[in-house]
Amino acid sequence: MATRLMCKTLGAACLGLSMALSAPTVFALADIIETPSRPTTLAPAHLLNDVDTAGDRIVAAGVRGHIIFSDDGGETWVQGEVPVSVTLTGVDFGTEQHGWAVGHSGVVLHSDDAGENWDLQLTGVRAAELAIESRQEQIDDMEQKLEEAPEEEKDELDWALGDLYFSLENLQADLEIGPVNPFLDVWFENDKHGFVVGAYGMFLRTTDGGKTWKDWAPKLENPSSFHLNSIGRITGGGLVIVGEAGQIFVSVDGGESWEKRESPYEGSLFGAIGTGNVNEILAFGLRGNIFFSSDLGRSWKVVPSESDATLNDGTVSEDGRITLVGNGGAVLMSTNGGDTFRPYFRDDREGVMDVVPVSGTNLLIVGEGGVKHTDARGKNLQ
Amino acid sequence: MSNPKHDKGEHYLTTPKAEPFLERLIFNNRAIILIAFFFLTLFLGYNAVKIEPDASFERMIPLEHPYIVNMLEHRDDLENLGNFVRIAVEVEEGDIFTAEYMETLKQITDEVFYLNGVDRSGLKSLWTSNVRWVEVTEQGFQGGTVIPDGYDGSRASLEQLRQNVLRSNEVGRLISDNFRSTIVYAPLYENNPETGEPLDYGEFSRQLEEKIRDKYEAQNPSIEIHIVGFAKKVGDLIEGIGSIAWFAGITIILTTLLLFGYSRCITGTLVPVFTSIIAVFLQLGTLRLLGYGLDPYSVLVPFLVFAIGISHGVQIVNAMAVEAAKGFDSVTAARLAFRALYIPGMLALISDAFGFLTLFFIEIDVIRDLAVAAGIGVAFVILTNLVLHVLIMSYLGISKGGVRHVQNHGEKQDRKWRVMSYFAHPGVAPISLLIAVIGLGLGLYYKQGLKVGDLDQGAPELRADSRYNKDNAYIINNYSTSADVLVVMVKTEEEQCTQYNVLRAMDNLQWELQNTPGVQSSASLADVSKIVTKALNEGNWKWYEISRNQTIINASIREAPAGLINTNCDLTPVLVFLEDHKAETLETVTERVEEFASNNNNDEYTFMLAAGNAGVEAATNDVISNAKNMMLIFVYGVVASLCLLTFRSIRAVLCILIPLGLTSILAEAIMAMSGIGIKVATLPVIALGVGIGVDYGIYIYSKLEKFLLEGKTLQEAYFETLRSTGKAVIFTGVTLGIGVVTWIFSPIKFQADMGLLLFFMFIWNMVGSIWLLPALARFLLRPDRMVAKARANK
Repeated sequence: MATRLMCKTLGAACLGLSMALSAPTVFALADIIETPSRPTTLAPAHLLNDVDTAGDRIVAAGVRGHIIFSDDGGETWVQGEVPVSVTLTGVDFGTEQHGWAVGHSGVVLHSDDAGENWDLQLTGVRAAELAIESRQEQIDDMEQKLEEAPEEEKDELDWALGDLYFSLENLQADLEIGPVNPFLDVWFENDKHGFVVGAYGMFLRTTDGGKTWKDWAPKLENPSSFHLNSIGRITGGGLVIVGEAGQIFVSVDGGESWEKRESPYEGSLFGAIGTGNVNEILAFGLRGNIFFSSDLGRSWKVVPSESDATLNDGTVSEDGRITLVGNGGAVLMSTNGGDTFRPYFRDDREGVMDVVPVSGTNLLIVGEGGVKHTDARGKNLQ
Repeated sequence: MSNPKHDKGEHYLTTPKAEPFLERLIFNNRAIILIAFFFLTLFLGYNAVKIEPDASFERMIPLEHPYIVNMLEHRDDLENLGNFVRIAVEVEEGDIFTAEYMETLKQITDEVFYLNGVDRSGLKSLWTSNVRWVEVTEQGFQGGTVIPDGYDGSRASLEQLRQNVLRSNEVGRLISDNFRSTIVYAPLYENNPETGEPLDYGEFSRQLEEKIRDKYEAQNPSIEIHIVGFAKKVGDLIEGIGSIAWFAGITIILTTLLLFGYSRCITGTLVPVFTSIIAVFLQLGTLRLLGYGLDPYSVLVPFLVFAIGISHGVQIVNAMAVEAAKGFDSVTAARLAFRALYIPGMLALISDAFGFLTLFFIEIDVIRDLAVAAGIGVAFVILTNLVLHVLIMSYLGISKGGVRHVQNHGEKQDRKWRVMSYFAHPGVAPISLLIAVIGLGLGLYYKQGLKVGDLDQGAPELRADSRYNKDNAYIINNYSTSADVLVVMVKTEEEQCTQYNVLRAMDNLQWELQNTPGVQSSASLADVSKIVTKALNEGNWKWYEISRNQTIINASIREAPAGLINTNCDLTPVLVFLEDHKAETLETVTERVEEFASNNNNDEYTFMLAAGNAGVEAATNDVISNAKNMMLIFVYGVVASLCLLTFRSIRAVLCILIPLGLTSILAEAIMAMSGIGIKVATLPVIALGVGIGVDYGIYIYSKLEKFLLEGKTLQEAYFETLRSTGKAVIFTGVTLGIGVVTWIFSPIKFQADMGLLLFFMFIWNMVGSIWLLPALARFLLRPDRMVAKARANK
């Protein structure tokens, strides 16, 4: 009687307690996409894969569903409430309030309060189902086309159809295991329109803030389903996706249609950023390779870097300095708009995944060892 | 009343009226018994000399504790997780990238390779081919040995070496963070794979010193070598046992001087020393015949045996001198001394033995061995002291000087005893009690800080400033590593140890633990899988996750380090690196693991505690905390029963036990204040301290009671007590104290702790019985009723 009375007054807390007490001694651990990220003070010191700004707020995402934010330029951090515990790979804010984070198990998370609370919008299961439906449609179209096509084009179409079937079978096999594949990056234009890219050519688009998603992979000429590592907008409004095996795709119509660019590189590209000048792109990736284009990726030139550390991401500061960061503690700086870079290797040699400018010429880097405050060269601030 | 002269000074319970059967048996066969002793000593002495140091790991741990049961059950699967040595070669100036340094390192690597006991296939250093750098390229991976092809010590090849080191992922592991030292990592065979012989830790450790440290530090003065690892630690312990010989020598010399000061008689000095040493030889020889070695704990027993032998031998010398002073010849004096002392002597020694027996409550073999060794020792002391000693003295007699000393000295000291008898005065006794109560209060207050377990950094067996612990501190400070490892074992069905759910569960536990205070980091197959999955995806950290795809998991752990998967793949460990091995840390962490295990263990996997040094310590602490109260209750119970049996009075028991209890509490306060935890080494001290310490109280009380029954006032009776036995009691306390005080200088930390505590307990128990016992008697004893009762009994 007393217990019931107390339960009424204490409400949810009591519910939790009675559940804990009545829980069976043996139960399997819940799947990580059903396990909320554990509140921890360790999050700022563990792997963070991406960082973005939401107004003055800095938001970073990493392992075990960690999303942390700071309102004082990275001095102190608060952990957001995240309903999953997967490794998160990307975070992007379309507005100061609306942000999205993506990660393993094909999760897409959304926050409408500048990163404090997150809800799960999509998982890898739904993403795979969308891709399978879309592949099925492509196959139907292709078979239709094949029937109507003149004899001399049939061979080529046959090949394309084969690729589609192969892709479909892979998707189905993966789905049998579960939500196996990760999203690797996310970009939102505003609080409605955005894209997520991921492993094996995963590419989805939403126009309603993530309520519904559409498989956008058919818009890319990516028959081998190469990983798509990064998506972002460059100065001038062009959208750029880069990925495995030198894949570069560019859209000049806000993502409706995409063009494959001839790549200067056979290895993986992990990022592409603008330089501050219209239509200029810096693409970079494996072994310190950096390429520069001033014409939206139609032509490229190699940028000397004096470093063979893989580069992961970069940023342009207000004063025009370009900073690229990468594995082995690499922090590369260009003060001439990306013509040349000077490398610095941090003492800890830990991988750096992303960077944002903070006060003065200082930087905030995130990566293998969590978040660190550095000077313009990448040296730790005392 | 056949010998009224003799009866005068003895307790009614312990003095037989006529020559007993034993006395006749011994004194009628003096020559035969001496010859028998001669051959027994020869035989057992020969064995005693051949006794070997033994620091067997298994004997130092609580084998019956569930953690240890789990650990031993899976020891084959866990092999080589813990048994390795790390040799850090430090350059004192500059960095490691010099031709000279690399040449020395190469030679050291080669030398270690040929050391007996090293698992050569697992040997790692910059110079071994298994230390590689790997780099992701457009075509896949490329890599090579860290030492560049065609290395020639030139500036260019050293620069190439530096590049390779930076991309080798070994910084913090094999190469220190500041590039001023590198490690030669040598896993060891527990048993030689060819001969099956167990690794000789003492010999291995000596070789490390001679062939590695001494040789190369001499050859290249700019380097310093630091060596850590279980084998080195055990080696140092074994060496530490050796230094005990010095302490033995010092103890014998000190005791001899003291004894001479006491007796002023050469024979009365040398004979007790000689017979006590014989008792030690007999004890050690018997131990060897029973298959024991000398471990760092039982090596201390000979000191106790020697001290007990001396302190009881003194009683014989004293009694003989008294008899000789009355004019008896040496044989008669010896007979009378034997007659007077064989029952109280045996009683005291047997009560010592009961004290040791309580050690059996601690389920740790070394402690039980300690009890056995001490028990055997005390048994031999009964023989050597009451038989051999008496017989030798019956031939040699007490010197005239000794007799004179007894006659004069007693009178000279009377004034001193008179002053001390005021401890029983009605005006002084309350002050004494007040001081005791204050002492008790302080003791209880400071004792609150008493901790279970080892409290110091590094290897707790050795001193903080020992070479080993300095080396250990160097490696901890310069490499990403912790010396305190708790291993959680994860048991699965055969071939299932790498399943996604298993790795995921381990990962969950690890994160839970990393969020537990005291945990520094952790490692398991889950980490290997994540890191390799990342590497297989072009080194991109965004892939740092356990894949749901079993094929990818299997690929990721194909090259997992040995020890993380057993042959059947039904056991995989989670290594938890702790900040220290304090009892609270261990308790918090093991509780967290147990909670996790009971919530999550299922058909797929079972999480079990525990291996690793921290696992062993957690189990040991558990056993110790459980045994502590049992042992205290038992030892006090035994001592109280013995006293009650002897004196038939609760008041008497209180008079004797309260000083002991005060000493025990003060000893715990001292432990708390000097940072000594309750551990394998210090728990026996309580039993030994109480078991041996009660002797004083028994001697004092028995005399006091006798004089009270004669109708004397309390203070007068106490004066007589002091006069007749006070000197012997003080001497006994000092002898026992000297017997253990040298241990304080032992290189082995726990021996030093034991020495300090036993010294305190022996001395303070003596002080307690002389100072506090009479004060208690003032309040507790009712001499009138005692006399009346004694009369009624007659």
